[in-house]
Amino acid sequence: MPFALKQAAYLVVGIFGAFIIQKSSFIRSDGFWKGLYIVAIVMLIGVLIPGIGVVRNGSQSWISLGFMNFQPAELAKIAVLGVLASTLANEKNSRMKMYIQSAVLLLLPIGFIMVQPDFGSAFVLVVAVFFLLFAAGLPFKFFLWIGLSGIIAFVLLIVSAPYRLVRIQAFLDPWNDPLGSGFQAIQSLLAIGPAGLFGFGYGNSRQKFLYLPEPQNDFIFSILLEEAGFIGGFIIVLAFVTFFTTSFTMAARAKTRERQLMIIGFTSLLAVQTFLNMGVVTGLLPVTGVTLPFISYGGSSLVMTWGIIGIILNLAKETDKEGGR
Amino acid sequence: MAISKLKQIVRLRMIWIMIIFLFLLVLFKLVQLQFFQFDELTTKAKESWDRELPYASLRGNILDRNGEVIVGNKLSPTLFYMPSQNDDPEQVADEIGPLIGMDKGELLEQINKRSYLVKIAPKGKNISSELAMDIQDKNIKGLYAGVDYIRDYPYGNMLSRLVGFTGYDAQGLAGIEYQYDSILKGESSAVRMFTDAKGVPLPHVDDGWKNGVKGNHVQLTVDLDIQKVVERELTQAMQKYEATQAIAIVMNPKNGEILALASAPNFDPSSYQEVDSTIYNRNLPVWMTFEPGSTFKIITLSAALEEKVVDLEEDHFHDIGYTMVEGARLRCWKREGHGDQTFLEVVENSCNPGFIELGNRVGAEKLSEYIRNFGFGESTGSGMAGESTGILFSKENFGPVEHATTSFGQGISVTPIQQVQAVAAAVNGGYLYKPFIVKNTIDGETNEILSSSEPEMKRQVISEETSAIVRDALEHVVAEGSGRNAYRDQLRIGGKTGTAQKVQDGRYMEGEYIVSFIGFAPADNPELIVYVAIDNPKHSTQFGGVIAAPIVGQILEDSMKTKGSGTQLEKEYRWGDVEQVRTPNLVGTKRKEITSYMYPFTIVWHGEGDEIISQLPKENGLIPLDGTIHVYTNK
Repeated sequence: MPFALKQAAYLVVGIFGAFIIQKSSFIRSDGFWKGLYIVAIVMLIGVLIPGIGVVRNGSQSWISLGFMNFQPAELAKIAVLGVLASTLANEKNSRMKMYIQSAVLLLLPIGFIMVQPDFGSAFVLVVAVFFLLFAAGLPFKFFLWIGLSGIIAFVLLIVSAPYRLVRIQAFLDPWNDPLGSGFQAIQSLLAIGPAGLFGFGYGNSRQKFLYLPEPQNDFIFSILLEEAGFIGGFIIVLAFVTFFTTSFTMAARAKTRERQLMIIGFTSLLAVQTFLNMGVVTGLLPVTGVTLPFISYGGSSLVMTWGIIGIILNLAKETDKEGGR
Repeated sequence: MAISKLKQIVRLRMIWIMIIFLFLLVLFKLVQLQFFQFDELTTKAKESWDRELPYASLRGNILDRNGEVIVGNKLSPTLFYMPSQNDDPEQVADEIGPLIGMDKGELLEQINKRSYLVKIAPKGKNISSELAMDIQDKNIKGLYAGVDYIRDYPYGNMLSRLVGFTGYDAQGLAGIEYQYDSILKGESSAVRMFTDAKGVPLPHVDDGWKNGVKGNHVQLTVDLDIQKVVERELTQAMQKYEATQAIAIVMNPKNGEILALASAPNFDPSSYQEVDSTIYNRNLPVWMTFEPGSTFKIITLSAALEEKVVDLEEDHFHDIGYTMVEGARLRCWKREGHGDQTFLEVVENSCNPGFIELGNRVGAEKLSEYIRNFGFGESTGSGMAGESTGILFSKENFGPVEHATTSFGQGISVTPIQQVQAVAAAVNGGYLYKPFIVKNTIDGETNEILSSSEPEMKRQVISEETSAIVRDALEHVVAEGSGRNAYRDQLRIGGKTGTAQKVQDGRYMEGEYIVSFIGFAPADNPELIVYVAIDNPKHSTQFGGVIAAPIVGQILEDSMKTKGSGTQLEKEYRWGDVEQVRTPNLVGTKRKEITSYMYPFTIVWHGEGDEIISQLPKENGLIPLDGTIHVYTNK
């Protein structure tokens, strides 16, 4: 079971990393986030350079490190939210300056990510940033306008790339082309539906044998539902919701406004990604390639998720060891 | 940005509620999928786990009038592969690639397809049964040899230009196969295999069989026994005369049923790609149009007799070798002329000026009317693909010269099938029957007759009495005239020769002729009518009476016997009863002169020179009428 072994190894690395991060004080410095942001931008540019970036499934999203592949977009998500949270927490900033700063800090990496193209990551990041902006107290009117322009942008994106239009059509009526564009959506539903309340039991998935592409990755939740049924799915959803609730509770108790916003931003990031993945698998949303945090196979994704846990735990600490500042 | 603590907490709560809401959506969707849509999705999933292994449909046969199979089917399995059933496509490719001669990369690309079922093509399509057995014995997971067929031609090339051929997916592409595709093709059957998700057949569920429908048979009017005779004669003629092409039609003059239809050269329908499309796309007896020459004189004769403008035995005609029409000198084929003849002798000698006289007596308008009534200028309606209409002179262009040349069969172009249709009417009592080739369509499952073609009499073109006189005159042609090479003991044969220069781009081609003969038997009550035309024969006098007449005689003789007993053994080929003749002296003659003498012999030239200095056999040697004389030239 090479998948399970590799995944276990990454899990150990991830938890160990989280432990280190949770202990590290530099997380709390302003400079760290600015630095991280610059590193992320450099890597986003780097991944687009042929020879450095690796093309997989039509997207140049990966940098090969030899022992593992690394996705710069994963790092960018964290960096953007961290930097934005610092900016938004600064009470001296005027609203206009804040708008401009937020827009620039977000759109620069988003632009690079869309070039790859990695629509899933970009979408997750943008939505998480809006949660952050909402938490920061921007007026409702702002979100109304953003919502409208978002719809327009969405339409433009679909029109600009034919494969996206095909995906939307497949989403609206997957049975129209069951062996083509609707294949993944249908196979996912065929895994989930017949599983019923209890599922087929551990290891008894049928769909994972070739019907679903990369069952260990983006469609892991559908295999989980197939084997563990509604009960299993319910428990997983409940676990995620509990985790998000706990995390938001930590945010409410955070020492500084900056840390509070960071925790909200990172928690939203994981929540949005989780929902997007589950929505795709259950047919609520059109097929978009995003992983399920904690569960999907993939070193880069798993280590980053645990890194975020480490950051949240660090920021949520009640005692400030740096107290002297 | 500064906002109040309370507002901060309110905003955080709202985000939390939004996220709770989103995950409630997921749970609702799960309830919908796993409870409300449980049955529906379970059914669909099962369907996707069942695979159907297609079994090709059985295409209908093409039969002769006695039910003998002209085109049938032969088992030739096709390989199918179910990718989900085998984890090791590399090994599959390694094992079967060399067996079917397919490149490993190409094969891997096919068997790695994201599909329930892959047809391994083109190399895995229609493999031999033996190879399929060998592959089945290897027990490769996910690899199946599906039942499939290819067309089988028990008689090889025979009738190929009529029946046509089928393509890659057994679809009719030419000839009868194409025209009757909707009747011949069946519906595929399939074995339904219930498998688990790994594609492994479930042991406790029996495989289901989805029934296909067999294609229906098409029964032709063709009689294979006669067809064999015809093909044999044409093949011999092609070889002997190194002709460009040749055609033959045998028809029952009493109802229009085509009993044999041959074109040469023909081709092997199972490898049609190897021949030119001009061969497989052209069914010559209906496609080809050419100047009929003297066989057409039968129409002029019929018209003259029907109009009672001539008495064959009483009226006389003096032929001086040509006739002047509007300043044009229209020659008889015999340069010095036939001299004084009765009109019966005009017919026997196929004398052109005599027929110009007959055409004149009928009149231009009347003659045109007869020609069109006899079915020229329009498709016969035989129902065979690619039938031409031929070209007649339009009314405006039908001047005295055209009138005169038409009378002896020049200046117009007609198809062989039109000539057979017309002459059949001239000798069967005057009834113009539509020629047809498909007799029945037969249900492939029950063998019941689905539809039958009935003989269709279009109109009566001449009276029974006139027809009797035409028959008699044409019997004289064979007994005493230009058609005597068709003469057979014990069989009354009537007929008419034809020789016409080929036309290309509106000009006559020097030295290229189509020689033909149309004959029927028995002459008093015709049961068979046979038309043979040889395009550009070499090594012999290019004369219908010399080349085509004996072939028609032979076909009629053998066919009548076949018709009579039905079990007649096919005899060795022979060129009729040939007279021995004395060889002429050719030494001293020039190349050009030899051709104009129109000897019946085959003359083989040795050397490049113009004048003959020696010959073998020598003068006054004995050789058969169709024998060979070797001549040696001065260079």
